[in-house]
Amino acid sequence: MIKPFLSAALPLMLTVGAAGAYADTIKIGVPVPLSGPYASAGVDILNAAKLAASKINAAGGVLGKQIEILGEDDACDAQQGVQAAQKLVDAGVAVVAGGYCSGAALPELGALHRAGIPYILDASTNPKLTSMGYDNVFRTIGRDDQQGPFAAAFISGYLHAKKAAVIDDNTVYSKGLADNTVAGLKKDGVDVVYYDAVTPGQMDYSAVLSHVASLGPDVIDYTGYFAEAGLMAKEAAALHLKPQMMGGDATDDPTLIKTAGPAANGWISTCAPLPQFLSGAKDFVTEFTKTYNVAPGPYSVYEYDAIDIAAKAIKDSGSTDPATLVAALHKVKDYPGLTGIITFNSVGDRTVASYITVTVKNETWAPFMKLSPAGQWVPVE
Amino acid sequence: MRTAIPVGRLGIAALVIAAGVPFLCDNYITDVALTIVTYGILALGLNIVVGYAGLLDLGYAAFFAIGAYTTALLETLLNFNFWETIPCALVFAAISGIIIGWPTLRLRSDYLAIVTLGFGEIVRIIAVNLDITGGPNGIYGINPANVLGHDLTSPKSIYALGLVVLVIVLVFVIRLGQSRLGRAWQSLREDESAAEAVGVPTLRVKMLAYVIGALIGGLGGSLFAARFGTIDPTSFTYAQSVTILIIVVLGGRGSIPGVLLGAIIVAGLPEALRFLNLWREFVFAVALILLMLLRPQGLWPARLRRIAAPSADEAHHVPHAEPAAQIAEVTANEPETLLEARNVSRVFGGLKAVTDVSFTVHRGEILSLIGPNGAGKTTVFNCLTGVLPPSSGSILWDGRSLTGLVPHRVVARGLARTFQGIRLFNNMTVFENVLVGMDHRFHVPLPAELIGLPFARRDTGLHYAACRNWLEFVGLSDKAGLRAGDLPYGDQRRLEIARGLAGQPRLLLLDEPAAGMNPTEKQSLMGLIRRIRDLGTTVLLIEHDMLLVMGVSDRVIVMDRGQIIAEGAPAEVQANSRVVEAYLGTEEDDPEDGPVGSISEGALA
Amino acid sequence: MSEFIQLVIAGLTTGSFYALVALGYTMVYGIVRLINFAHGDIFMVGAFIGWTVLTTLAATHMPWGIGLLLALVVAMLLTGGLGVVVERFAYQPLLSAPPLSILITALGVSLALENGVLLIFGAGFNTYPQLIGSEGFMIAGARITDIQVGIIVLSVVLMAGLYFFVHHTFIGTAMRALAVDRDAARLMGINVERVIQITFFLGSSLAAVAGVMEGLYYTEINFFMGFVVGLRAFTAAVLGGIGNIPGAMAGGLLIGLLEAFSAGYISSRWTDVIVFLVLIGTLVIKPTGLFGERVVERM
Repeated sequence: MIKPFLSAALPLMLTVGAAGAYADTIKIGVPVPLSGPYASAGVDILNAAKLAASKINAAGGVLGKQIEILGEDDACDAQQGVQAAQKLVDAGVAVVAGGYCSGAALPELGALHRAGIPYILDASTNPKLTSMGYDNVFRTIGRDDQQGPFAAAFISGYLHAKKAAVIDDNTVYSKGLADNTVAGLKKDGVDVVYYDAVTPGQMDYSAVLSHVASLGPDVIDYTGYFAEAGLMAKEAAALHLKPQMMGGDATDDPTLIKTAGPAANGWISTCAPLPQFLSGAKDFVTEFTKTYNVAPGPYSVYEYDAIDIAAKAIKDSGSTDPATLVAALHKVKDYPGLTGIITFNSVGDRTVASYITVTVKNETWAPFMKLSPAGQWVPVE
Repeated sequence: MRTAIPVGRLGIAALVIAAGVPFLCDNYITDVALTIVTYGILALGLNIVVGYAGLLDLGYAAFFAIGAYTTALLETLLNFNFWETIPCALVFAAISGIIIGWPTLRLRSDYLAIVTLGFGEIVRIIAVNLDITGGPNGIYGINPANVLGHDLTSPKSIYALGLVVLVIVLVFVIRLGQSRLGRAWQSLREDESAAEAVGVPTLRVKMLAYVIGALIGGLGGSLFAARFGTIDPTSFTYAQSVTILIIVVLGGRGSIPGVLLGAIIVAGLPEALRFLNLWREFVFAVALILLMLLRPQGLWPARLRRIAAPSADEAHHVPHAEPAAQIAEVTANEPETLLEARNVSRVFGGLKAVTDVSFTVHRGEILSLIGPNGAGKTTVFNCLTGVLPPSSGSILWDGRSLTGLVPHRVVARGLARTFQGIRLFNNMTVFENVLVGMDHRFHVPLPAELIGLPFARRDTGLHYAACRNWLEFVGLSDKAGLRAGDLPYGDQRRLEIARGLAGQPRLLLLDEPAAGMNPTEKQSLMGLIRRIRDLGTTVLLIEHDMLLVMGVSDRVIVMDRGQIIAEGAPAEVQANSRVVEAYLGTEEDDPEDGPVGSISEGALA
Repeated sequence: MSEFIQLVIAGLTTGSFYALVALGYTMVYGIVRLINFAHGDIFMVGAFIGWTVLTTLAATHMPWGIGLLLALVVAMLLTGGLGVVVERFAYQPLLSAPPLSILITALGVSLALENGVLLIFGAGFNTYPQLIGSEGFMIAGARITDIQVGIIVLSVVLMAGLYFFVHHTFIGTAMRALAVDRDAARLMGINVERVIQITFFLGSSLAAVAGVMEGLYYTEINFFMGFVVGLRAFTAAVLGGIGNIPGAMAGGLLIGLLEAFSAGYISSRWTDVIVFLVLIGTLVIKPTGLFGERVVERM
């Protein structure tokens, strides 16, 4: 039976783990879905983590030790997530950076909180994660209530839309972003003619799109993921629809262009400033693509920054003790990450999450507009 | 009432080990063990629906979700504490069991699959779409369970709670399996139509399977909510329902140790395979395929349940348990005319199987219904017993209409039957087959039976003793513990008769009971039929063996091509030329054979 | 009105995919009484094989029509073969075992196929080359593209071909005989195992066609894409009366239309609920599906 197996395996794993701790590695745990429908996101995040770690290790590691990334599959499931988190705790991780589905991230956070281990979230944008009153949670990704108003401002201030339609895919991230965008739009006086959800995985959205178009919006904003966004771009073009198509930061992915082909031209997404558009950090995209044969996905950059910040906290505090690291992470100020300048506020969120818009031109992503400090829409240089 | 559970000692040992986990192992193992316990509870619930009742449910996660959301909502919106939410969760789960069960009752098992799947998805989608359930975010901030002032937040403490719940569910499910309801489910699974025809209220029993399965699922959901403090729709997907189903079938459906073993493997194996990373799920899938190929009946299949029959001696000492007393109970003050069929017709598409058949059955007689093959005799039986409604005409029993009643209600009124092709519950013991035949006579409420209240035990004692006596009556006394499907043919016939008699029928319909018997067996059967009549039960018999018919009947009705062509005492009917013609054809048809004087000379065995 | 027509076009297009996949479900169920849960994943494998052929050929500068044909043929043959292999090794040994066991095996095969493709092709989305543009024309104020017409026509043609095959060829008659009484068919000299394999081959090839068409039309393919289509197709097969070929077609188109109308007129978030409620309602009224035959039990 399995129980004897586990009882035999566990001491072995602990020994190996302990040996590992005494060996020259500092362990960072990455709990993400590695199986099931969200595996593509999880693998992408794990790859980014490994890339970040290999760069740090190539430069000599931290405190004289190499960083070891321990990826664990949480299968986007609460029970497996908790077990994954426990495993990482038992393996002696100093810090955990990762997470994808809120349904798994929240229970994982609970387990890690009990062990006092810091958890840097790279993909969960839902505000509730930092409102539990836990001191060990941090986020490199912005929150929905930051990106939403930005998108609304773009729609009203730059596109000058009178009517808008917002579509989400009824998942945690997407709905959160949509709710916040709609709130922002209403505040800006834009008439939201349609606000509803589609089911991801359905492939054909022409029914919804033609219905939405008949309501006469100037803009259709899809806050879901790139897979569906690509299909929408393609189908909207086939239907010769007029509204401007745009999306949130999860739509900003090369797959959208590959799916929609020429129909993708003109799509606009809001997103964190990508490394392609940050001077001096273009290497990330090239290296990632070269190492993994696939372009980085939407959350890879946030995970990359998370690992980097974790390493910095370890270096600055000179220790891998979890409690010390939690304090050190709270002290992170003005860290220049791929996704912008990072400072954590008292609950672990980024103080300033800056966003820009990008657009598809000639079937590639190109920087588009950003909001200048003076409140003007100016091109991103 | 002892049941043989050699597995009992193993079970106690396993429980002791399970109880020791939080003390011996760390948080990770305890978490895994708690997942196993949760799945164990859910699988035990699904086992009732799929394993006991044989209903393929692909949407079981719906009940899990309803229990979890009820606890979550009541705690967060109305400030209930965990214990207060439990009865509500159970009620809502039960209601949903009724809602989900009702449309599926008449569906064949494969259609059942998609409908239950649909319900599972509907529940999940409602949870995702409504704001009150938190939409895709779900609900968080669910307070943990509180025991004697201590909040159960650590994995070890929640595990203890989970284990207690598991044990309670386990005991409940075991007792259920041994009860009348458990027997009814098994008979349903074996042969639904036969079960209905011997008095099992199949629709109600199916509904109960859903409801009780739902209760357990809901309980599992409440536990789940208290464990994590937060729930969201991604825990209640179709994939979750499939996982629970895999546990039940992999372990051996209907088998409690099997189901628990399945939970250990399905929840534990992927954990043990974590080192395989991306290959984890693939290896698990391949392992699953191989396991099913190697052991399709499950890893620990259900054994033949043996409810031990009381000894013959014991049975004779229980008052009112003797066959004579059993029948006398129901035949006091019987009217002269028991059953009256008036102009009964039955049409199948273009075929008129039975046309305008009218006859009466008198108290205490042995009446035979004979005729060439295809005459419509079994169709008449089917109309009488409610298996087929007549296309026109009426059937009166005791002066009241029997037409259109479903078979189990017809049985409740006092008719019983056997079948042309024997339809026993093959995987149940001889004794249990007879028990099922009598189950409809008992009205002890289920909770009383499960707890084992004194009046319930008395009734069960009478029940068991009476059935034992019936076995003796038909001559199967020494075969009580054998598997019904293993009996030789002649014994199977007698078992069917005993099953029918156990229901204390006032009228017993026998459909070709002598088919396939040798002359000695037939003699014995004739004796049995006479003894049945002597007890007071009227007998209506379909037979082809003329010697038997003529030897045992008081009256004979002859049918040919859907109509009655003769009726009367055996000797009269034998000599009736129309009857001779129907069986043998007229002289002109076969000039080489001389005229045959009577039926018995051209005996058709 | 034009919105209505637009929705009809959308519905018929998606419905055609469901119908093609539903045919496989219904055929297999008809003769083996198995709900082949792996069938949606067979569809997915077909899409991936097509992708592999097309991306390999992209290096050569073959005219796209020929490339497409090649992709279809290779996908049909290989996927059909896969269906036969699965049947031979995973299902055949269990045909006389308790029916639930074979169901679990089918679930296992489904998981294995999904994760196998995940391991080989990765977890992300692969994209078909953009072979077919979105030229089209207007009908009553609604827009229909050439490829949509192609998909609908192709699936009707395939279904008609299958129907003809089942009712007018010897093997088809053998299949129908098997569906009624396997043992009697065997006694009549029909090679039961061979006929079952042919059925699986046919069903899987049809699914492969749907898979390649799906890849061409929607461009994105992913190891998990068989799940939703499989579920819808299974629903369609049951709705039409499982075991009934025209029923599967009707069911598929009906569900496609239902989806389109509920997305267009009610709300896309409730589409699944509406589809299931229609299914449940239909079965309550007609327990064997729209075109299903009543199975009479002889007592």
